[in-house]
Amino acid sequence: MAKYGGWVGKILRVNLSTGRIWTEDTIEKYKDFLGGTGIGYKVIWDEVPAGTKSFDPVNKIIFGVGPLAGTGAPCNGRTAITTLWPTCWPKALVATGHMGGQFAAELKYAGYDSIVIEGKADHPVWLSVVDKKVEIKDARRLWGQGIRRATIEISQEIGPGAAVAAIGQAGENLVPMSVVMNSYSHSAGGVGAVMGSKNLKAIGVRGTGSVRIAGKKEEWEKLIKLHLSLLGANNQHVVPSSPQPWAEYYDAASRWKGSRGKMWGASTPAIETGTCNPHDLNRIAYRTNNAVHYLGDIAWKYTVRGNGCTGCPIRCHTMIKVPSAAAKYGIPEVGQNTCGGLNFGRSFFKTFPDGPRGMTGIEACMVGMYMSDDYGIWCNYSQLQRDFQKLYYEGIIKSKLEEKEFKSYSWDKYEKGDPSFLFELLPRIALKEGELGTALGLGTGYLLERWSLSEEEWKKSHGLNYWKLGHPKHHSNEEAGQCGVIINTQYNRDPQCHSHANFTRNGLPLEILKRLAAEIWGTPDAVDTVGAYTPMNTGKAKMAKWSLLRKELHDSLSLCNWMGPWVASPLKERGYRGDDSIESMLYSLATGDKKNRQELDQVAERIFLLHRALTIRDMGTKEMRTQHDTIPQWVYEDPSHRPVYTKGTTHLDKEDVKLAMDMYYEEMGWDKATGAPTPEAYRKVGLGKVSDELDKKGLLP
Amino acid sequence: MQQWETACLVVANIIRKKSEAGQLLFQKEIFRGLMDQKVLKSDNREQLGTFEAILKKTMKRNEDLKELLDKDGIPRYYSAEFMSEAYVRILLRKEGNPLLLIAEIVRENSALYPRPIPLDTFKNPPFELTQEDILACLQKISGQEKYQDIAQTITSIGTVFLYSSRHLDSDYASMLAEWLDVGQYNNP
Amino acid sequence: MSHQNKKPEILEEVLSSEGLNHPFSRRQFLKLSGVSIIGISVLGPLFARGETKAPLIIMKQAKGIVIADPTKCVGCRRCELACTEFNDGKAKPSMSRVKVARNLNFGPKGVFPEKHGQGNWGNGLIVQDLCKQCPHPVPCANACPNDAIVVKPPTNARVVDAKKCIGCKMCLRACPWEMISFDSDTGKATKCFLCYGKPKCVEACPAEALNYMAWRDLTDKVPPRVVPTAVIPPEKAAACNDCHKK
Repeated sequence: MAKYGGWVGKILRVNLSTGRIWTEDTIEKYKDFLGGTGIGYKVIWDEVPAGTKSFDPVNKIIFGVGPLAGTGAPCNGRTAITTLWPTCWPKALVATGHMGGQFAAELKYAGYDSIVIEGKADHPVWLSVVDKKVEIKDARRLWGQGIRRATIEISQEIGPGAAVAAIGQAGENLVPMSVVMNSYSHSAGGVGAVMGSKNLKAIGVRGTGSVRIAGKKEEWEKLIKLHLSLLGANNQHVVPSSPQPWAEYYDAASRWKGSRGKMWGASTPAIETGTCNPHDLNRIAYRTNNAVHYLGDIAWKYTVRGNGCTGCPIRCHTMIKVPSAAAKYGIPEVGQNTCGGLNFGRSFFKTFPDGPRGMTGIEACMVGMYMSDDYGIWCNYSQLQRDFQKLYYEGIIKSKLEEKEFKSYSWDKYEKGDPSFLFELLPRIALKEGELGTALGLGTGYLLERWSLSEEEWKKSHGLNYWKLGHPKHHSNEEAGQCGVIINTQYNRDPQCHSHANFTRNGLPLEILKRLAAEIWGTPDAVDTVGAYTPMNTGKAKMAKWSLLRKELHDSLSLCNWMGPWVASPLKERGYRGDDSIESMLYSLATGDKKNRQELDQVAERIFLLHRALTIRDMGTKEMRTQHDTIPQWVYEDPSHRPVYTKGTTHLDKEDVKLAMDMYYEEMGWDKATGAPTPEAYRKVGLGKVSDELDKKGLLP
Repeated sequence: MQQWETACLVVANIIRKKSEAGQLLFQKEIFRGLMDQKVLKSDNREQLGTFEAILKKTMKRNEDLKELLDKDGIPRYYSAEFMSEAYVRILLRKEGNPLLLIAEIVRENSALYPRPIPLDTFKNPPFELTQEDILACLQKISGQEKYQDIAQTITSIGTVFLYSSRHLDSDYASMLAEWLDVGQYNNP
Repeated sequence: MSHQNKKPEILEEVLSSEGLNHPFSRRQFLKLSGVSIIGISVLGPLFARGETKAPLIIMKQAKGIVIADPTKCVGCRRCELACTEFNDGKAKPSMSRVKVARNLNFGPKGVFPEKHGQGNWGNGLIVQDLCKQCPHPVPCANACPNDAIVVKPPTNARVVDAKKCIGCKMCLRACPWEMISFDSDTGKATKCFLCYGKPKCVEACPAEALNYMAWRDLTDKVPPRVVPTAVIPPEKAAACNDCHKK
């Protein structure tokens, strides 16, 4: 029997240039990096030289899952896909996309902890992984088809239970703004074109094996039930959106939408979601309805049911059935997705004839999903749509396009908010047709460069949400003050970190948030409430560090950072406390490698530091503070010029943010002047060799 | 004694089930429940006495069962295990003083979380006020000094939020409303 | 063991079995008494196999059954994970005794994602396949050459006795609903045994899409998935005449 549970023991390696397929021992080589992003960063560090570009055959793309993937641990269905990022501007740096669905679990059942792909096939291929049998197969008849057809044809070949991760025409055409998708609606942004550059159309996985739980099955069952008992709704919102009999608190903006009288209206027959008492673990799936969250109460009657990843009871995807969309636009009646994916089509339009929460908006969502999830177009956390609005309404598109191309678009339809406009726009992005289609597909950074637009202008704009390197903010100061800003400086795309936002938005009163914050980060002052910020303190730095480390931990274990950590819960009898050790308890029991919370957080720190080291190495500078950890001007400005810390403002003070970065670097044990980790910081987490290599290049402070 | 045991269990169960569904109970509703389940036979005077004794005993034995007096001084019953105090307060206020209900809820939200709340909150359960009722209340509110603190703010997409100026100033309230109605959705 | 001594008791048991769906006339009863009854199982096989080639007859009905509501299934597969993790200590949906994954994407008919297909790629309906705890004749039990599928109190579920199972997979072929699982790690078949009356799948479902209820005969209500390709060998089938011959 294998020494550890959780991991299934093998990393699958595929070289598409030579056709070589081989395996590595997960534990021997990668145990200290867990899986997911940990393995991703390690492979890139060890094997991909600095200066490599995204579409170079020597770039690698790592489909990483962790020891908890495929188990019954709630919220574990995620795959982290690490590579050198095509939209990272001006230079490709390491970054990760994430996708849910069935892929992660199926890969584990097939017997693999990750897949590393390198090289480039000389003709379109797809990778078939059917338990231990791995083959590179000809994909010429799939090339040029959308994600949907590719998935169906592969399923016909390897079985209806297969998990297929495929790119669409966008990825094939090396459009940087492209995704890979599995399980109908689950996409990983930004990596489609890397697969395309390798002529890799898809990976199809069928697995009949198992993931062993090292601990006693009775204990595992008990732990799972504990975890389930602490769950809230999507994003770990722990209060319902309207007053419920059992609830002390509520929050209209909570994703916990289930209530008496609220029905999954398009289910046959309709199903009431009900009061969803948090002690009733058989009704967790009725709490969340993201279609209603984004589209309004009107979406109840279109809701078929929730959907989502393997093993997750939350069901943050919503399946909606909209016959009017089918009738008007000739698309299928049923669509499903969540968040940015759900809003893909809608986000392009400034207005709709029937307002922001009417039918037309829903139809735009349906049309958008239908195309973007088949062509495989990425939204870059809706930066694509925000850029598009600005470029159009400020006349930039008109000035950059030749008249003939400009006239080929029905701009009147766009201005009116007619979803059929998307049929003109989206295919051209995926197929790289015309100047507009090509420019939009590059990602913001390269688009700015191509059209000679000023990044400074983007950095000053409040509405554009732009941060740096061609990517937007993701839960920054508008959410969590200085903590949010720190988090947004650390990555090479938008940070994809929800640890902090899940906490600040969970719906509990400020007093309780502060009490919980004191327990976790040492002081109630670690959290302010939104719009009533206070100066920086060490508690906030601790919260930022915790948020970042837990994000990497989740991405490496295969837990969902859109659901965890679980430091708050809906349970009054626990004082709304969750359990900050859930991750370490799950890890220890599943793998048999006993680590407490601090020990596992140290592994997370190792993984996070490796990302830092990679960024330093590939940027060729240790001056991270000034060159990488930058903050756009809009963070410091209030549209009405009110002073900082005035209630009702979310902007911050420049000096205070400098202090924030100081405190953060100090918390991390990094050099304050450069923001670069010191040799001690690397050694503390067992990255001594990494430190030595950086030293040789003069990249240590 | 056996019958009393059963009767107490039945009463406790009735109260808890109704609390789960979000309802307070009158004595007569509990009585009817006991009749439906054949624990009591009829509503003659003797049975009434028995009922009151059963009720008293049940309340004494079960810590979660609570009795309180509504605005008319009539006792109402619920289980604290299934219904929160906050919810009970809403139900009591709703009966006969929707204006005070709105004011109290708005103030509570502005003080506690703190945040303004969408006007539409009051259309949904458990408030379930009609559009007309709500507008009528708002009209009355604007006329009375003791409700001077109840204010409105409208977001960029036209949603009306209410807040209490005792706890939130107008700038802050409008920023929070915009964040709750628009900002959060633009930052999913 | 003397067959003749045991006969009257066995007959009594057989005739008093609840839900007996093979009616006996008095005449048949008399006929029956004159024939040596071989291999009737009430609480377990009473006779050693030896020269007898009769199938193992299970007369006791199951007390409970797990029933699925596909209109509520949200496709999370926690039932499969609970079934295998909490019973076998490993996450192995391929051997789960409640089966969802195979219908998840396209429905029971396979890759037909046309407008009227089911599953995540069709209209969203996910059918959870469950063991019907069949009444006599129990296909999987009848097909087993080792009489390894037996009745287990208190639920009277039909259960694979791992000690007797030789891993031939005849039972897999015999079930019209393809509900028997095979654990490639142990080399044994396994099937739904109702978790001693507290089914883990029912407990695990976050959508109340599975329920544990009093047993009822669903064998003629749920369309079969396949035409079974395992049949009772003729020599075993001949023994059916013992009870059913006119």
